[in-house]
Amino acid sequence: MPIEFRKNQALFTEVVSVEDAEGLLEWLQKKPGARIDLSACMHLHPANLQVLMAASVAIVAWPADAAFTGWLRSALAAPP
Amino acid sequence: MKRILIVDDAATVRLFHRAILESAGYAVDEAVNGIEALEKALQSTFDLYLVDVNMPKLDGYGFLRELRGSELPQAPAIMISTEAGARDEQLAYAAGANAYLVKPTRPERLLLLVRMLIGEVPA
Amino acid sequence: MSPLLEQFLSEARDFLQGIGEKLMQLENAPDDVELMTELFRFVHTLKGNSGLFDFPEMTRVLHAGEDLMDAVRNGRVAYSQQLADRLLDAMDFVGMLCDEIEAEGSIGAAYAADSARLAESLRQLMASAEKAGAVSAIEEAATPLVLTAAAATAPLLAPKVELPLAEIPETARMAAYRSARAGNPLHWLSYSPAEECFFNGDDPFFQARQTPGVVWGGIVARAPWPPLAAMDAYRCLLDFRLLTTAPRAEIDEYYRYMPEQIKLLPVSPLALVLPQGDPNGGPVYEDLVVDALRNLRGGDVSAVARAARAMLELSNPDLWLSSALRWLLLLIECEPDNHPALAALIESLRSLQPVDWYLLEQSATPAVGAGTAAGATEAAAGTASPLAAEEAAALAAIVAAQRAILSLPLGAPWQLGRLRAAGAALAGCLRASGRGEAVHEVETATAQSLACGSAQPLSDWLAHHFAPAAESAAAANHPSASAVATAAARPVATASGGANTASDGDRESSSGRRADDAESDVKFGRRAEDAAAAGVKSVKVDQAKIDRLMNLIGEIVVAKNALPYLAGRAETVFGVRELAREIKAQYAVINRIAEEMQDGIMQIRMMPVSFVFQRFPRLVRDISRKLGKEVNLVLEGEDTEADKNIIEALGDPLVHIVRNSLDHGFELPELRRAAGKPPAGTLTIRATQESDRVVIEIVDDGKGIDPAVIKRKAYEKGLIDETALERISDQEAVNLVFAAGFSTAEVVSDLSGRGVGMDVVRTAIEKVNGAISLESQKGKGTRLRLSLPLSMAVTNVMIVESDAQIFGVPMDCVVETVRVPRADIRSIKKSLTTVLRGRIIPLKSTNALLGLAAPPLANAEDELAVLVVRLGDESVGLLVDDFRETVDIILKPMAGVLAGLPAYSGSALMGDGSVLMVLNIKGLF
Repeated sequence: MPIEFRKNQALFTEVVSVEDAEGLLEWLQKKPGARIDLSACMHLHPANLQVLMAASVAIVAWPADAAFTGWLRSALAAPP
Repeated sequence: MKRILIVDDAATVRLFHRAILESAGYAVDEAVNGIEALEKALQSTFDLYLVDVNMPKLDGYGFLRELRGSELPQAPAIMISTEAGARDEQLAYAAGANAYLVKPTRPERLLLLVRMLIGEVPA
Repeated sequence: MSPLLEQFLSEARDFLQGIGEKLMQLENAPDDVELMTELFRFVHTLKGNSGLFDFPEMTRVLHAGEDLMDAVRNGRVAYSQQLADRLLDAMDFVGMLCDEIEAEGSIGAAYAADSARLAESLRQLMASAEKAGAVSAIEEAATPLVLTAAAATAPLLAPKVELPLAEIPETARMAAYRSARAGNPLHWLSYSPAEECFFNGDDPFFQARQTPGVVWGGIVARAPWPPLAAMDAYRCLLDFRLLTTAPRAEIDEYYRYMPEQIKLLPVSPLALVLPQGDPNGGPVYEDLVVDALRNLRGGDVSAVARAARAMLELSNPDLWLSSALRWLLLLIECEPDNHPALAALIESLRSLQPVDWYLLEQSATPAVGAGTAAGATEAAAGTASPLAAEEAAALAAIVAAQRAILSLPLGAPWQLGRLRAAGAALAGCLRASGRGEAVHEVETATAQSLACGSAQPLSDWLAHHFAPAAESAAAANHPSASAVATAAARPVATASGGANTASDGDRESSSGRRADDAESDVKFGRRAEDAAAAGVKSVKVDQAKIDRLMNLIGEIVVAKNALPYLAGRAETVFGVRELAREIKAQYAVINRIAEEMQDGIMQIRMMPVSFVFQRFPRLVRDISRKLGKEVNLVLEGEDTEADKNIIEALGDPLVHIVRNSLDHGFELPELRRAAGKPPAGTLTIRATQESDRVVIEIVDDGKGIDPAVIKRKAYEKGLIDETALERISDQEAVNLVFAAGFSTAEVVSDLSGRGVGMDVVRTAIEKVNGAISLESQKGKGTRLRLSLPLSMAVTNVMIVESDAQIFGVPMDCVVETVRVPRADIRSIKKSLTTVLRGRIIPLKSTNALLGLAAPPLANAEDELAVLVVRLGDESVGLLVDDFRETVDIILKPMAGVLAGLPAYSGSALMGDGSVLMVLNIKGLF
């Protein structure tokens, strides 16, 4: 599973695929205010990204790849 | 009746020219490339050739050169081209054309040239 | 529609077809000059044809295509896949216009924009490829005047577009600026994928991330997000924006499958120079500004840099000032001579307002006239000059042409013929202008020229009798003639160079096919002779005419069937046996001719499967590329022929099958490699003839179908029950994909919303009496086999009697006919069954199935007539009253309200004039 769901935090690892979006959405619906750790994520299908954006989740850690983080920050970073 | 050979690989263009020429009272035969045109020229006599430039197997220049280099009767030829340039026109004359027309052909202009080259007194 | 227009459309379609094929072939042999020449000629001729009509939308696109192909042919533009794609698109558009013309008689105004866009895109391709070399040269040579040369040549900010460049972090903007100043083009790209793109397996984020030359990228939502409970994760509502320094062509190539989804705007490097940060209370840097501007005017840029660096060290990096200084240093580093830009940036330190680079560039760039290329509009033809003037002009043009011909240098082997023809042309002119008495002079001069091998005598005569001045006067009066006249008057420099004889491939060869077939077929000896005599000529015939022939031969077949009946009556009713025998003999003759004729007409209707196959190279190429898969397509047996209706019915199912195979059958190259297969898959489509059937096999070496998955899905969908789940074999399981309501897409990919149910394919094939079967080996691949009749015109049916009526049953369905003693018929749970050769056969009363009340009749031995028919994989016994003979009939589909009756597949006229209703076995149950 590329997403590890913990108590109140989800850990994204490797490549999160389109099939994972459904589960992510369900989980977030149950856990408002959940936090996401992207540090081990290499790529995520935009279906997942949409879910994260819509849920306005808090990101606790960004990916190692700076360019990838750049993309994600533009979509997920809380407005200053 | 004066006989004209249309040499063109495009069936639409042949039909178009045939319609114009036949409506003016000419007898028309067709060839789809230079080779076929030469064969037709060997079989019967034409008063005029209407020759397209770009054709498979033997193009218009090739056909004219072969025709002019042969012992066949030398009827005038009109080369019909899409290129309006002077260079292309010179090439046509060099190959053996006697007039040059740019496509799409205006029927009245084509008929005028045909009549002049064939030598028919205007009605 | 006029015959000319009809001819045009028919020929246009042939050319479009040819162009498509040639482009595909070129893909494998991009350096093949002959192919290129042929391709050019196709486009060229098609354009010429379209010019005969008023179809500017079509001509425009074709003209652009012709110019592009000309450039490719002459090596000015390199052939590329992108080029092929664009050209194919353009030809698709032309094909669409042909359809429109055929349906409407003209082209609607709505196509003008598309036409312009397509033509433009073709021209751009040419311009960008041709200019590629030139531009860089200009960039190097130009001296920096106000802005740098690179900034001045590109349109840059031309239309002022507000891009959210300020959202880009400064470091990314600086990197982009550096890259642009190093000579790379800078583009802002916004990519709006289709909402349903996830269902096609697309990952637009990945696509965006992999954009060549991407310096920075960001993602925004198209609309505010709905509450999480109402969220549909699978509708893509994201827009991707990025800054790239890749060449435009590379970007276009990368996004070639979604050009309508991207917007590309050139960005001036200076537009990135946007200092950001804390303004820290207001402008207090007056000294710095004044000093820097003075140094700049004095040309001491390094002093400016020193001051800036010193100031930067003293300042908090988060200040607007610091940001501006960083930019200033970068500008000094990259374009130290662009003083206006430096000055503007320094000035901005006063106001802490960003520089309006747009204004600066606009005021600095010299105004360039908008070079909108006027279309090559022909001079208006409708000049109302008197005919005499037209004639004079034509005469002048011809005479001028002959003068040009006579002044050509000698030496060509055909020069004498040329002289002779010029003489003939001049003689014609004399006669046509009423100067027939002078014709003999021309003839004499021509003879002299020929005798001395020089044009001199004839050109002397010409100079004497047609004064050049008069001609040019006449020509000047007539604009259309003047071009000819002046061109002709120019001395000729070259002898006869250029224009060589292009030896083209044999385009006529396809029409020779029919003759070959006929010759190889001994049975139709007569046709073979005809074909041999006629050579390779082919005729285009309207489909309706062939249909009429079909109907007529159908009537003959029926009418001739009345003869045996007549013979029977002659013998039994009138008692003239001699006459009966003669009628029968005559019948045999007519029968033979009718059969041969019918066969001949069938042959006309036969088409090669290549008609359907030809679309696959492009389809497979486009789809596999889009999916990121590598697939080699192998087509075999394209010459195999079948009836036109069969071939046409084959089209859609085959496309479905191929699409399915590409979507779900083939794995991605990495997966294939991991599985020890070659990264490129092979899709084979093979047609063969097996007796009176044509068999099409579609074989892929993809991942195959997992029977376990199919079983589970079928069970979940209630298509099989638990016992069946245990019992059915893997092969049976695989065949479940044909069951109605079973979409393979749902099995193989959880997400494909477009999965085509194989049941649709099966239904379409069965409609033309075809059969479909599937074999698959997990991990190895899948083989689909379609078997279709060669012709659907003649049906062999068995006639059965039931309730005093006769019905036809197609022989394809009939397994056997048996008479079963009533005692052997059992009733299990209200259904009748019997046992035949150890197998239980369910029995159905035909009467009951047709809603007739009468019970089945038994014969004298109390046996019931059972017609065992095939129903899918099962056999079912139909109880009928009696069996009769089998006959060949021409089946007419049911028309009108009757068409809705599923129990009948059609009707046929019998020899005695009665109508036979033919049962549709599947529709009965």
